[in-house]
Amino acid sequence: MPATYVLALGNVLMSDDGLGPAVLRAFDQQYVVGPDVVVEDLGTPGLDLSPWLADAGQIVLIDTVKAALPPGSLRLYSKADLVGRAAAGVRVSPHDPGVKETLLALEFAGRGPRDIALIGIVPEVTTMGLELSPAVAAAIPTAVLAVVAALERFEVPVRRRSEPLAPAPWWNAGAGILPRTDVAGNPADA
Amino acid sequence: MSTHITVDPVTRIEGHLRIDVEVDNGVVTKAWSSGQMFRGIERILQGRDPRDAWLFTQRFCGVCTTVHAIASVRAVENALHLEIPRNAQYIRNLIVIAHALHDHIVHFYQLSALDWVDVVSALKADPAKTATLAASLSDWPGNSTSQFQAVKDRLAGFVAKGQLGIFTNGYWGHPAMKLAPEVNLLAVSHYLQALDYQRKANQVVAILGGKTPNIQNLAVGGVANAINLDNDATLNMAKLYQVKSLLDEMKAFIEQVYFVDVCAIGAMYADWLKVGAGVTNYLSVPDLPLDEKGVTFEFPGGTIFDGDLTRVTPITTFGDPYFQKNVSESIAHSWYDGDWQRHPYEEDTVPKYSKYDADGKYSWIKAPRFDGHVMQVGPLAQVLVGFAQGHEPTKRWAVKTLATAGKIAGATLTPAVLHSTLGRHAARMIRCCVLSELAGKHWSLLAENIGKGDTTIFNEPVFPKGEQQGFGFHEAPRGTLSHWVVIEDGKIKNYQAVVPSTWNAGPRDAKNQPGPYEASLVGNPVADTERPLEVIRTVHSFDPCIACAIHTLDVDGNEVSRVRAL
Repeated sequence: MPATYVLALGNVLMSDDGLGPAVLRAFDQQYVVGPDVVVEDLGTPGLDLSPWLADAGQIVLIDTVKAALPPGSLRLYSKADLVGRAAAGVRVSPHDPGVKETLLALEFAGRGPRDIALIGIVPEVTTMGLELSPAVAAAIPTAVLAVVAALERFEVPVRRRSEPLAPAPWWNAGAGILPRTDVAGNPADA
Repeated sequence: MSTHITVDPVTRIEGHLRIDVEVDNGVVTKAWSSGQMFRGIERILQGRDPRDAWLFTQRFCGVCTTVHAIASVRAVENALHLEIPRNAQYIRNLIVIAHALHDHIVHFYQLSALDWVDVVSALKADPAKTATLAASLSDWPGNSTSQFQAVKDRLAGFVAKGQLGIFTNGYWGHPAMKLAPEVNLLAVSHYLQALDYQRKANQVVAILGGKTPNIQNLAVGGVANAINLDNDATLNMAKLYQVKSLLDEMKAFIEQVYFVDVCAIGAMYADWLKVGAGVTNYLSVPDLPLDEKGVTFEFPGGTIFDGDLTRVTPITTFGDPYFQKNVSESIAHSWYDGDWQRHPYEEDTVPKYSKYDADGKYSWIKAPRFDGHVMQVGPLAQVLVGFAQGHEPTKRWAVKTLATAGKIAGATLTPAVLHSTLGRHAARMIRCCVLSELAGKHWSLLAENIGKGDTTIFNEPVFPKGEQQGFGFHEAPRGTLSHWVVIEDGKIKNYQAVVPSTWNAGPRDAKNQPGPYEASLVGNPVADTERPLEVIRTVHSFDPCIACAIHTLDVDGNEVSRVRAL
């Protein structure tokens, strides 16, 4: 069975642009997928997306999208929306240059995913900041359900965790691996 | 009559760059480089734990992730005078090398080759002749007639459907496109093959860094890769050998494909060895540390002024005062409040946007200076500084590159030709060849050190009361990167990142000295002002990446160039 990827795009330092990674973390807290499913926050990789998409079977992308809709609105796009001729007039993701160019380059190479589900949410604020705006944060649960629905449509098993993982901000990713002390040299958690 | 051309945005780069040039009689006479995004992201770090800073800085840019992580931990370690275990240095070095190999291959094949390669012309190529040509240059197995035929057929199919997809915005048939159809077909074929080598480099980063693109294994004081050769959950023998085999495959591609392509394409555009020198003051920092203290390095660093390779001032340690004292940034022509020139420890970042004014403020990028001088950074600076100091592998690959390209061009090429637009491409390839050799060496250093029974990976940082200052540098794919941190009572008080593309893409300073992009464009030919391909060639040769801020942009992905007669 070809590999499935759940990939988040967006810069976590730029307020609502960090929506994709936030949805990915929420999904990861609540759901379990099999070892053949890669779940990854890719940030804003531009053309460095290619190695991720080159031989993937199916891809769920979570990203902010520009659309004439209120902040927090959710839109679903297919592979045809992203690379087809119809895409010319549709403004998709703000990371459009990276996503679209990568898909077109892979198409020329005869590679790329068989199917794509892009879960897009309209942002409100994309200036520097670590918080999502309220309307966009409120869309996270719906977006997580959209990820689950997309995986089910791809016939990829996804199971709800009996106990959700504790929430943690992204910058705590490495915490707990190494001992830490405070300024005075005492263990930080003493 | 002169013509003013605005290219906005420059495509196939990371970030939003605007370039303006004035053209007189087919030659650029004046140029301006303008970063169109505010980057003041350092402010997000104030008040935070210095041990977390690298997790934030690696999100500055989606492409240059690891480089900002490395520079950040080095800055905090420098502030604390903290030594780093050898294993940690070697693991970091391998990540740095793998990232750089990936980055350089992407730049040449995905981002800049289309400035030189006419994809449509490849349709006229004879695949058998292409295979003969390729065989005369390299014994790479991916150069058979049937493979070239398959690529040509594929290309023909796309053109027949009227869909060039990724190549839609190319400058096909431009008078400055000079390659024979066979060379174009060769390059397009290798462009397709390069994709797999990008992925191999990513795998190395993922194995050692835990994840990619955002690595998880760093720590102020070392790395978090537990080492136990017999344990599946740690860095073990199987993973080490997987890394080795991926690095060996990368090396083969770089030496047999990338090296040859740059020599062959370069030789056929020999005129571009005379164009685009611009600023010939060069700055690079030493990198790939070999000891705990950061006083011996694989790559030498230093400064060169006025292109004089006989006189180089070395930069020798992580704490070198020659580097520390001489870096400053000017905001005379940048959209910030004031017109000061300050040392990074003393800087602030207060945006003050006004209209684009070529004689006043016109860019979000600051103008870094070294002892007041404009400096070019990047692989060319690193190769020249290494060459001037007799760094053996750099010298060997540079000599081999000049000899190989010279043979194809039927000319004698000296190191002086490297001060040019094409020289920057050659230097990036030379650096890549040297790095892929050194990857093997640093892999062996790590394996031997572990073999001796040393599994230390981390020295715990301790933050004293009061204020400490530190800087960390890294010779990143685009050149000298430095992070500057002021810590007070264990919290970040000030943080500044002086990034390579700031050195190169920055605007004029208070003395009106143009930045390296601006200087390098002056004297460039422009055959067709409606399609300023030559301007793009020189700008792309620096490998611009100015995304150290936002990506949420309202752009449609199409290159825009506006032309007006003055």
